[in-house]
Amino acid sequence: MSAPVATIDDVEFGVELPTFSPDTSIDNIKRFGQHVGWGGPRFTDHEAARKEGFPGALVPGVMSQGFLGAMIHRWAPKAEIVVIDTVFRAPVLADTPHSIAGVVTDVDEEAGTVEIDITIANAARETRVFGTATVRLPIE
Amino acid sequence: MFTRGNRLEADIDALRAAFLNREFDEATFTIEGNSFAEYARTCGELDARFTDPTDPNFQAPPTFVSTLVGGLALPPDFPKLSGVTMDAGKGVEWKAPIRDGATLTGKSHLHDIFEKTGRSGRMVFLVRRMELYDENGTHVANADTRTVIREPSS
Repeated sequence: MSAPVATIDDVEFGVELPTFSPDTSIDNIKRFGQHVGWGGPRFTDHEAARKEGFPGALVPGVMSQGFLGAMIHRWAPKAEIVVIDTVFRAPVLADTPHSIAGVVTDVDEEAGTVEIDITIANAARETRVFGTATVRLPIE
Repeated sequence: MFTRGNRLEADIDALRAAFLNREFDEATFTIEGNSFAEYARTCGELDARFTDPTDPNFQAPPTFVSTLVGGLALPPDFPKLSGVTMDAGKGVEWKAPIRDGATLTGKSHLHDIFEKTGRSGRMVFLVRRMELYDENGTHVANADTRTVIREPSS
């Protein structure tokens, strides 16, 4: 694994961020719900979610957005996420493996900012959540 | 005689004229460091500035504000649109760190209303923006929620 990004000089256009497998387990979602909210049955109980017409319990959208932010900070610990916009295209199902990917689509060396396209995909490589982020990095 | 498309466009224009940028909700949030640290850990953050309350730069991850929910989702006089409503996405514009113990005021308005036509028909999107200010009046973040209403097929 490559060293974490420290400054804007470490970033190249088109580079892919290290992929990240988020913890989508029901236990983790319950913990999230306990401390943050968003812990309703559709998120914490497969059977209750099926009764609502879903294929199983869902990862809350706000948690998926948190996964994307974490992926960026793992890549560049000093990064400040200035803007992050996420589109919930399809449900992220709990207790199923997903992977998060990102690719740098623009670098502004003078401003110290990068644009990143971000996605969450399931094991079948179907995109569930996608979006963009603008990230500020130290110039020196 | 209007076509269905023109009629809907006129409806959207009327909704935009009546509701955009009109504040309809104000809510107060006390931000607890333990909550956002746990949010950070469960989301997979590793950096101590988000996970460790003893870190000198301890602050909420930028996306944490998406978890804050105001009292009203829409203006009280907003018309009920028929169709299936879904959460279409979240956006955050981060402006300043949010620290443990901060008291934030969230002021909500409709920031955008627009329509799209997809394979499954017409969809109306409502973008609700909550502007968040700290106790000193500093604008610390904007948190957007996009709701889509998929119109029933005719």
